[in-house]
Amino acid sequence: MTLQQRLDAFKAAFESGAPPYNAPREAIQTMHRATEDLRRSGLAERALKVGDLAPAFELTNQDGELVRSTDLLARGPLVITFFRGHW
Amino acid sequence: MMELEALQAVWPQLRAMGASLVAISPQLAQYGRAVRRRAKLEFDVLTDLHLRVAEAFGLAFTLPTDLKELYAAFGNTLDKFHDEPDFRLPMPARYVIAQDGRIRAADVNPDYTIRPEPQDTVAVVRELGVARSKETRS
Repeated sequence: MTLQQRLDAFKAAFESGAPPYNAPREAIQTMHRATEDLRRSGLAERALKVGDLAPAFELTNQDGELVRSTDLLARGPLVITFFRGHW
Repeated sequence: MMELEALQAVWPQLRAMGASLVAISPQLAQYGRAVRRRAKLEFDVLTDLHLRVAEAFGLAFTLPTDLKELYAAFGNTLDKFHDEPDFRLPMPARYVIAQDGRIRAADVNPDYTIRPEPQDTVAVVRELGVARSKETRS
């Protein structure tokens, strides 16, 4: 199964309102409205895109060690995934 | 989480091509450790405290009040996870950055249930490798 197929399956299960998620109809509507508002805000279109220079960063990892994008790029290409959280 | 697991599945391929892979979220390190454990990730999960990097990429947004309350009711206390009172998040985004610092692939979507396949990312990284080895030869 592709990632998108798995995401589609999750979405269908979540939005069915059935177990294990038991998502109330109202909650699903709130989520849809928020996603739609975010889409309409045009924020995604204003984010950095292909051809832009990526900003350099220095962040700590899960063990508190410093990770620098310049160090990673000195070794090869860098893939970054921004995600919401562990929840 | 599903996207992170899918990226873990291609991490050996990316690493073999000399690429790095990092996941970035506004969460404190302890939650990063929880993600890595749960999703069995072998790549780093970085803490973007106060979403400074997400802002630099243009990805940060504040949740509307009703969704904030809903998340809090679900136990998703983002104020605690992020050590800031604002319920802000990055839009889901995947970038491939070439060694010159230029972005070669960007996938940003306000809807976290629509994400690109990890193999698309592998293909971009492979192209970069091919381009580089051509440069070295000429």
